[in-house]
Amino acid sequence: MIRLERRLDRPWWLNVAVPAGSLAVALAIMGVVLLASGHAVWSTYRQLWEAGFTGNGAFSATLISATPILFTGLAAAVAFRMQLFNIGAEGQLYFGAVGASWIALQLGGHGATSTPLYVVAMCLGGGLLGAFWALVPGVLRAFAHTNEILTSLMLNYVAGYFLTYLIFDSSSYWRDISSLSGQTFPQGKPMPSGAEWPTIGTSVVVPLGFLVGLAVAAGAWFLYSRTRFGFEVSVIADSPRAARYAGMRTRRKILAVMALSGLIAGIGGASQIGDFTHTLDPTGLQAAAFGYTGIVVAALARYNPIAVCFVAVLIGGLQNAGFTLQGVDFPSGLVGVMQGIILFCALGGELFLRYRLRITRRARPQAGSTPATEAAS
Amino acid sequence: MNINDTLLVIVLAQAVLYGTPLLFAALGELLAERSGVLNLGVEGMMLFGAAVGYWVTQEVHGGDPEVLALAVLAAGISGAAMAAIHAFLTITMRASQIVSGLALTIFAGGLGLSAYFGTELNLADEPSTHHFGSIDVLGLKDVPVLGPVLLHQSVLVYASWVLTLAVALYLTRTRWGLNVRAVGEAPASADAMGIGVATYRYVHVLVGGALAGIGGACYSLSITPGWVAGDTLVNGAGWIAIALVIFSFWRAELCLTGAYLFGALAALPFALQAKGTLDRLPAGALRAPELYQALPYALTVVVLVVISTAFAKRRLGAPAALGVPYVREER
Amino acid sequence: MERGAGPAGASPVPAVRMTGIGKRFPGVVANEGVDFEAAAGEVHALLGENGAGKTTLSNILTGLYRPDEGSIELYGEPVDFHSPRDALDAGICMVHQHFRLVEPFTVAENVVLGDHRGEGRRFLVHPASTERRVAELGKQYGLAVHPRARIWQLSVGEQQRVEILKALYRDARILIMDEPTAVLTPQEADALFGTLRAMAEEGKTVVFISHKLHEVKAVADRVTVLRAGRKVETVTAADATPHSLAALMVGREIAESQPLEQARDLSEVRALEVDGLTVPGDRGRSAVRDVTFSIREGEIVGVAGVAGNGQRELAEALSGMRSPSFGTIRVGGRVLRGGDPREAIRAGIAHVPEDRLGTGLAPSLSVTSNAVMKTYRTRSFSRGPLLALRRMREAALRIIQRYDVKTPGPATPVRNLSGGNIQKLVLGREFEDDPLVLIVAQPTRGLDVGAIETVHSYLREAAGRGVAILLVSEDLDEIRALADRILVVYEGEIVGELRTETATIEEIGFLMAGGENA
Repeated sequence: MIRLERRLDRPWWLNVAVPAGSLAVALAIMGVVLLASGHAVWSTYRQLWEAGFTGNGAFSATLISATPILFTGLAAAVAFRMQLFNIGAEGQLYFGAVGASWIALQLGGHGATSTPLYVVAMCLGGGLLGAFWALVPGVLRAFAHTNEILTSLMLNYVAGYFLTYLIFDSSSYWRDISSLSGQTFPQGKPMPSGAEWPTIGTSVVVPLGFLVGLAVAAGAWFLYSRTRFGFEVSVIADSPRAARYAGMRTRRKILAVMALSGLIAGIGGASQIGDFTHTLDPTGLQAAAFGYTGIVVAALARYNPIAVCFVAVLIGGLQNAGFTLQGVDFPSGLVGVMQGIILFCALGGELFLRYRLRITRRARPQAGSTPATEAAS
Repeated sequence: MNINDTLLVIVLAQAVLYGTPLLFAALGELLAERSGVLNLGVEGMMLFGAAVGYWVTQEVHGGDPEVLALAVLAAGISGAAMAAIHAFLTITMRASQIVSGLALTIFAGGLGLSAYFGTELNLADEPSTHHFGSIDVLGLKDVPVLGPVLLHQSVLVYASWVLTLAVALYLTRTRWGLNVRAVGEAPASADAMGIGVATYRYVHVLVGGALAGIGGACYSLSITPGWVAGDTLVNGAGWIAIALVIFSFWRAELCLTGAYLFGALAALPFALQAKGTLDRLPAGALRAPELYQALPYALTVVVLVVISTAFAKRRLGAPAALGVPYVREER
Repeated sequence: MERGAGPAGASPVPAVRMTGIGKRFPGVVANEGVDFEAAAGEVHALLGENGAGKTTLSNILTGLYRPDEGSIELYGEPVDFHSPRDALDAGICMVHQHFRLVEPFTVAENVVLGDHRGEGRRFLVHPASTERRVAELGKQYGLAVHPRARIWQLSVGEQQRVEILKALYRDARILIMDEPTAVLTPQEADALFGTLRAMAEEGKTVVFISHKLHEVKAVADRVTVLRAGRKVETVTAADATPHSLAALMVGREIAESQPLEQARDLSEVRALEVDGLTVPGDRGRSAVRDVTFSIREGEIVGVAGVAGNGQRELAEALSGMRSPSFGTIRVGGRVLRGGDPREAIRAGIAHVPEDRLGTGLAPSLSVTSNAVMKTYRTRSFSRGPLLALRRMREAALRIIQRYDVKTPGPATPVRNLSGGNIQKLVLGREFEDDPLVLIVAQPTRGLDVGAIETVHSYLREAAGRGVAILLVSEDLDEIRALADRILVVYEGEIVGELRTETATIEEIGFLMAGGENA
């Protein structure tokens, strides 16, 4: 029979072997799914790889897909690390977009043209509004012990309706009611030209937002591994009782971590406006579901900010390939299915990091021999 | 004016209609949680159940009763199949219940399996052929208030009442119910008394998934017959169902009340629009349908806060081992 | 299958025979080649120090663990248990040290739980008939407890009665009791021995697990001694002396710790003063009521009492983990606001909690992180918001060396350390901070003899340095060995204060049971 034993030590190679094994199992399962639905496995994988990474201009497009989920992935990772399950990055990103577009429109109204000024102000505005929206479940959790999973999720829907309201059912500051197209179909005001974030590079085009995300990841890594704040977070995550016993201020940490998480998601919203859409677009933002994909990214990266960067590019590549290939051979939803399978396999694989499998054959005395002879003595 | 045409009665009748999927899903989640397993994948399981249920009505030809029964069965099985993934990962592989449940929602939800299924089979292009109609019980549908609210509903509604009663009795009056409560409260004690912890957890998570799947089918077969791409069909009902389990202190009979309260909130924007009430309001935010659409979600937050502050110090009825994997042979 | 194997003790075939049992856990050999035999109608003690493999052996007998090697026979029939249910069906019941009860359930529900032969086989539960049967059994064996009471409303002694009722309800032929007296007053323990003897006289087999020599002598017919996972010997209790048993158990001569016979000279300075302290419990009622006492520098004050009489809440209130509702706490003359662990730490209160691994330490973090868990915010380990990682590591190494913590290295997660080393790490960390007062709860629970001696010597040394120590323990021998003074608590109140050199066990036990109220 198979038995599990807890590992007392973890050999270094396991940290490579287990994720690799999980990925292999995930590819195999996806192969079965593809076969079952009548698609050619090998050519689909090859097409995905080309469309996501090696094809002409593919990597640049992948970075565009990776940028928002880099932010939402980091937002989830910094919170999940303290066992604070903020799944509201979705709504916090919406609010970030609202805040950033407001600032940009304001600056435009005052005739500002300096792009660096726009970038900084939009990150600030978006980040602050994202942090504000994350602090709602944060405050409720810290002071009323309300489960943050459900509240942060519910607030995603509220934020979504708010976004729709701003553009579709009101004459808000963000809505374009002057242009002809704006009068026929509701849409957001275009951003001033200075608010378009620059890109870096020519052969591979890197959006500025992606670099901002990398910087945020580096900052988060430093915060969590080198500072008192990070130390406290790790103790609270492992045992809230021990943290209280050691005199740590858990409540403040909850507020700070939620705010940080919302801030990062909010900057992600700012990057959407500045890097890509250049207008507040409720339908596009809600359809993309960046926040939920961010959870996949964070979980696959095991909440490590540096790993989030790589996983974001990987999942971004998958998503980008999905968009490119979308059609009869590659129905929408398949990308989500693949993400789910990869995540399931990664979750299952964690068992092998914590436990060792032992196959035991029970050495049982031959039936009849021992009892009969020894009972007499 | 007939009292049955007033806004109040319309909202009440719709509350029962819209509350029914919440009730199915919440009862399912309640069973899983009573065994100690939190399943945050309800939203995904509901949507997948809705897709599969609808697909069956498209594929199978026959009279309404047989086809619909088969569709509900299929929805249940598909919900249970999704739940099986969660059960395997959390019970056998000891993964985090929170992360696994979130993964399930993402996997099965509107950007994953349900969307894949829907597009592969072109569900969205097919007009609805079979759906649950309202039954006029004993011809009493015109009785003031009670008629439209209680006596003119679909079979699914009446089935959910029977189910509520069954779950309540099961948990309090039967041996299996006693055992599953023990597994959720004190798995080590249950194990020592010879109760198979893993078996009980698997069974209840699977049954919970089946009920979530049936809850999802309520949407595609009864409330808004048809299939819509994306996650708008279920639109967060799975999450509200999870919150409902908390509101009801893990008790089936209270789930019913809570489900209809939230059903009323979900029905409100449609009823208001149907009656043209919104247009009579002063122009501005109050007229915005988004305000009413966001109401169930905002109110969920409010009720969660009220409950967690009011009962912070007392036992709420939450199973003590909820969310904790059980491992016997560990030192 | 036969039931009740003949008259007491007359059966030639042993009720239980375990042969060559082996069981390994990661990093530990819990049992190796253990042979064990117990007859029908006898009380058979399984003696050994903590970690000797007694509990593992009984968990194998009850089907909770599967042995890696060896075989089991009951009344001459070979058996192979795949689960606890198999063992229950064969008539084996165990009362675990940590009770296996479902807290929100009633007594009757707990008794009928998992029973699939008699009453419990019916699909619908019938509380009334179970309650009647439970009341009958209770009367018959002198185990009074209300069948409709919920477990969390019961005292620990009553909960133990429920556990025994569970076994009786199932007509268990073999009852295993794991350290049953640890939670009882001496008088309650005597009553329990009476019940166990009565059960043996009916032809049942009682396996009595203990590490206390005088108990074993008092209740058992035969004694099997385990040491380091192996069987040492089986002896007749009447022929053994506590001394000979101790030698078998430890494998060397040990000096039995003697109670303090002479009062020590102590400073007059009061390090800790507690006045009129009332502390709320988990379920709303006050767990500690109007408690007043003080401890002088270098003094060890023991708090004796049956578990659940407010000891944990008292320790938590003093260390700031629980807010008192009334009363004052003074440390070195300064009044604490209360309810703030950081304030208590700053005032010089060190705390070794009962739950060492979950409260005293963060289990999956490294030895280093845990070693500086309380001091990381001081100048020595941080500059502004940044941590001084190297100095943290050095501090950890210092504690490891000074307090002899055995660990593969400072980066090992503390979860992987043994119980004794975990306690040494906690004690070391608490002493490093030069505390005025040390609150220590159940400091040696679950430790082996060597570790117990080490922990006791650390506590004595600290008292010698002038630390005022409040020692909360359910082990009366420990309190008598260490404390200068003993406070006895009952239902949250101090019902007696005794000087160790004059107090008798009977006197302490009488007070623990509520004194005149009992």
